[in-house]
Amino acid sequence: MNRISSYHRPATLDEAIVLLARTDVTTTVLAGGTAVNTTDLPANTEVVDLQAAVAAGISRDGDRVGFGAMTRLQDLIDHDDTPPLLTALAKREGPNTLRNVSTVGGTVAEGDPESELLAGLLVHEALVTVADSSGSRDLALEDLLADFSVLDRAVVTTVTVAIGGATAAERTGRTPADTSIVAAAGRIVATGLRIALTGVAATPVLVSVDSVSSLDPPADFRGTSEYRRQLAEVLVRRVADQLGGSA
Amino acid sequence: MNINLTVNGDQRTYECQPHESLRAVLRREGFFSVRFGAETGETGADAILLDGRLVSSEVMLAAQADGHAVETLEGLNLPRGLHPIQEAFVSSGAIQSGYSTPATILAAKALIDSNPNPTEAEVRDALSGILDRETGYLRPVHAVLRAAAMLRGEKPEPVEPAIVEPLVALGGTPDMSAANPALNLDPLAPRVVPSPEVPETNVVGKPERKVDAVKLAKGNPAFVDDIEMRGMLYAKMLYSPHAHARIVAIDDSKARSLPGVKAVLHHENVARIRYASGGQSYPNPLPYDQVSFDNKVRHVGDRVAVVAADSIEIAEAAVKLIEVEYEVLPAVFDENEAISGNAPIIHDEDEMEGAHDPARNIVTHIDAEVGDIEAGLAAADRVFERVFRVHQVQQAPIEPHIAIAWLDSDERMVIRTSTQVPFHVRRMVAPLLGMPVRDIRIVKPRIGGGFGVKQEMLIEDIVGHLAIATGKPVRMELNRQEEFVSSRTRHPQTITFTTGVSNDGTLVAQRMRTVGNTGPYGTHSLTVQMVSGLRGLSTYNCPNKKFDCDVAYTNTPVAGAYRGYGAPQALFALESHMDDIATELGMDVLEFRRKNWTKVGDPLDVAAELGEGAADMKFVPVVTSSGMDECVVQGQRAVAWHRRNDPAWVQPADRPNIRRGLGFAMCMHGSAISGLDMGGASIKINDDGSFNLLMGATDLGTGADTILAQMAAEVLGVPTEEIVVYAADTDMTPFDVGAYASSTTYVSGMAVKKAADEVHRQIVTRAAIMLDVDSPGDIELKEKAAFAPDGRSVTLAEVALHSLHQDDQHQIMATASYVAPDSPPPYAAQFAEIEVDIDTGQVTVNNLVMAVDCGVPINPLTSAGQVEGGMVQALGYGHCEEMALDDEGNMVNARFGPYKIYRADEMPQIEAYMVQTMEKSGPFGAKAIAEIPKDGVAPAIRNAIFNATGTQIDNLPFTPERVWRAMQSG
Repeated sequence: MNRISSYHRPATLDEAIVLLARTDVTTTVLAGGTAVNTTDLPANTEVVDLQAAVAAGISRDGDRVGFGAMTRLQDLIDHDDTPPLLTALAKREGPNTLRNVSTVGGTVAEGDPESELLAGLLVHEALVTVADSSGSRDLALEDLLADFSVLDRAVVTTVTVAIGGATAAERTGRTPADTSIVAAAGRIVATGLRIALTGVAATPVLVSVDSVSSLDPPADFRGTSEYRRQLAEVLVRRVADQLGGSA
Repeated sequence: MNINLTVNGDQRTYECQPHESLRAVLRREGFFSVRFGAETGETGADAILLDGRLVSSEVMLAAQADGHAVETLEGLNLPRGLHPIQEAFVSSGAIQSGYSTPATILAAKALIDSNPNPTEAEVRDALSGILDRETGYLRPVHAVLRAAAMLRGEKPEPVEPAIVEPLVALGGTPDMSAANPALNLDPLAPRVVPSPEVPETNVVGKPERKVDAVKLAKGNPAFVDDIEMRGMLYAKMLYSPHAHARIVAIDDSKARSLPGVKAVLHHENVARIRYASGGQSYPNPLPYDQVSFDNKVRHVGDRVAVVAADSIEIAEAAVKLIEVEYEVLPAVFDENEAISGNAPIIHDEDEMEGAHDPARNIVTHIDAEVGDIEAGLAAADRVFERVFRVHQVQQAPIEPHIAIAWLDSDERMVIRTSTQVPFHVRRMVAPLLGMPVRDIRIVKPRIGGGFGVKQEMLIEDIVGHLAIATGKPVRMELNRQEEFVSSRTRHPQTITFTTGVSNDGTLVAQRMRTVGNTGPYGTHSLTVQMVSGLRGLSTYNCPNKKFDCDVAYTNTPVAGAYRGYGAPQALFALESHMDDIATELGMDVLEFRRKNWTKVGDPLDVAAELGEGAADMKFVPVVTSSGMDECVVQGQRAVAWHRRNDPAWVQPADRPNIRRGLGFAMCMHGSAISGLDMGGASIKINDDGSFNLLMGATDLGTGADTILAQMAAEVLGVPTEEIVVYAADTDMTPFDVGAYASSTTYVSGMAVKKAADEVHRQIVTRAAIMLDVDSPGDIELKEKAAFAPDGRSVTLAEVALHSLHQDDQHQIMATASYVAPDSPPPYAAQFAEIEVDIDTGQVTVNNLVMAVDCGVPINPLTSAGQVEGGMVQALGYGHCEEMALDDEGNMVNARFGPYKIYRADEMPQIEAYMVQTMEKSGPFGAKAIAEIPKDGVAPAIRNAIFNATGTQIDNLPFTPERVWRAMQSG
């Protein structure tokens, strides 16, 4: 009758994975809860809250910074080691009441097509560590976003990003704090310019300057496909211009 | 399961279900300051501190909080008096309805605890999670800064009105390019432009504290949901998934057999009694096109059946077990298509009562003419015509509709409900429940915002039916999605203005053709559209005018009353049209309007033809006061209007894709419905010389209770705190129509003044005996005492004790009522400063300035709050709010976020000026202020976009793609 039939708070990652590996019950991972608790879950879902099982925290390791998956977005914003672009884009994930509970891992696992933070993580060459009963492995964020099946009965444990490189971001929305209709983030990397867009595909995606005109974005009441493509072209051009125009 | 929580320092074990939200558990445990706003957490009314951080308790499982520390506002409250943050909120005028004030104060506490000297931007970020539909954020943000200063040990100056010198009265043309002196004023200081005609007063005109400040600032249980009834049941409605369908069969047997279900009601077991749901005076305007439950559904979200059960979870489960067979019918959503003659007929039932032409989906037809429109247009030098379309939006009070009904010990029906119209609800619900009016009592406690959506008998019949069916208390609360699709909205309209002018810019003829869209029920459809015609055609003088209006039934969510009530639609079209005409004529946009706008002594001739609703006006009213000239120049200076003609400002050299613009709109409204709507009040004296003021007037956060108490205090010579206000309860207080039509200050205020005048008479009569003065008229009431001409006095406490206990005993008390013969218009000048990104169509609003002539503002603090908050709602209407329906009539954005209302951290600058005039017909010179702030923002933005880009956009709202497409097409 109630959507959530039981609540688990495993003390370790291993315990969490055992709970999620069960095939006779429906389970869902709860990170911060701002997404899970607003979703119509299947009947008799058991939630597995990761607050004790997965670490929060931010650490620098050479030219990369790692975020424990349970790091709250507000802590990411407030930390000195967070790259400035990610600080700015994390502020756009929602108001403070939600940023104080939403987590880095939850944001990655949710894959919201309008998440500017995900676009920022993409241009920062994010690697996602995923653990399940077969062990733990690293995936490029763009590969995870292209295929979420890897998260089935699995847990995101850390997200690491490359730091350095000039960055820029542009967006269009109805109001200044509105979820952007389309947003672009860019960063200079060794091979040139790395650009990601929101609002043009099922998840945030990496694009090249040349490929933007062939996008076929899904439409909604805030933007037709044609208009979103127009925005993508304008915003990518602006980001590229700010970063010296190199593609 | 059991969880351990430390709530406000007190560690305890609480029992909860795994699915329950932290909010649900906290409220069950009596922490009533934690309030429901939306099931998805975006309103922040539910915010608490978890380990010191502000979080939404709605989207957190109680189980998630196990082992953590929770703080609610109850933990901050002192046994007596206010915490400094609460004090700052009260003295800043930062509280209107107070529904989300507990969360806002917690946000302030969390910020100041970690950052004792925050910047304004940091405060705005700290409040970003708490949506405010009322204040426009200016006062809460500056209240937090003030609280921080107080907590640092500073002693900020009291918040007092800032007196701004009148410019028109100075004579000559003021230098409009001079810097605005108000720039250096305290943002909290209400800007008041005084008039020499206004007499001195002691209490009226002062920034008094709200009379309900303590309960709101402390989050005390004061709202509908803040009571506990033993054995209470929870109601849940099954809503139609189809835009138009017949109910062929309904099988409730599975729902009924679910344990815990106590009643299931639908069209087969509820009496079919026709009514109109709009909360309006008797007789309710036609048509009577609704029944409690019908065998047909007419929009997605229409009523199908309702369940009452032991818990909300059981009720929700039972709703899913009701099996309904529908015959799906074709639907129509566009108002013009609906009345074309080729559309599905939405009301095909036989007993349809009072619609104009149901076969063509025409609810109402209105036709009013002054002069001769055809001759006028023929005689004009130039004729301009333009078509405008305004869209559907929702009032979105943070407290949704909620009502609790029970049968009391006398077996009378008590309905505690979040309503603007308790007396109308009592009269209207009685026949539906099959009970006499005497057996029904409506109680209106504090209300968390209404804005018109609660000028409706919306769910009171349902809880009433269920209380009768079960014999138990029944609670029904709409969730946010239901509030969007199943309550009421603003009427969309297609408006065509045709205007003839002479070459010198004088209006010669003006025709307004409107097709309104009421959705499938005609509630408020006649009167909203009448106000559209009234406002569209009486703002400017013109000898030949015609209003021609059809209101269409469609299958969209139902339209109803929304602050502004037809005026925002009409004034968007009119003020856009006037800007275009001035530009075409090569005239200054202000000068063209000034030449034509109504001035003191001008007739409001369309008013005599239209009235508002059932009122049959017997004479042509004239304008009796206007501060319009002063409003315009004050606004011009404040917004630096001269920049609009400077190409270097419009097209900044360093931002090639940006164009800037300034736009103006004139606003004119009414003050109450003359000849129809009545206010009533009783005042009685107590042993200590204080007074009870009992009113049917309905404060929904506006501060009505406060300004009415100020009026009584002014007459009786006492401070405001000597007036104890009680409102509203149909068993206890005189009749009052309730809160709508900008009537409370003007009409209920006059009723209070009349009652106070009579109590004054009784007091001085008694005092004259006590003081041995021959003529009671020589006695003066001041400083809580009655003074003889020679300076001897008796206190009001002595007067009260004398009259209640000692001699010729008599309860000093009076009841008075008032109906206004007139509806004097408030005027206002609305300015907007915007910028447009010409590559994307994104519009950013940078500044809104409104200068309002509301007569004499009874309380400058609450008046300023009305204007600031109203402007921000109007900003949403013009800029970003829209109900988006798919092809099947499903609203695709029934959630805050996708339905975008402004947050604290993205606000433009806003500024309100109150330009005083002395309106002799109003109490202490007052006119209305509640609705006019809704009227001008959309056209001012539109005209600013025109100034910036040369593009005229004729449909709302100004979202990026709409603007981009308009610029593409030229």
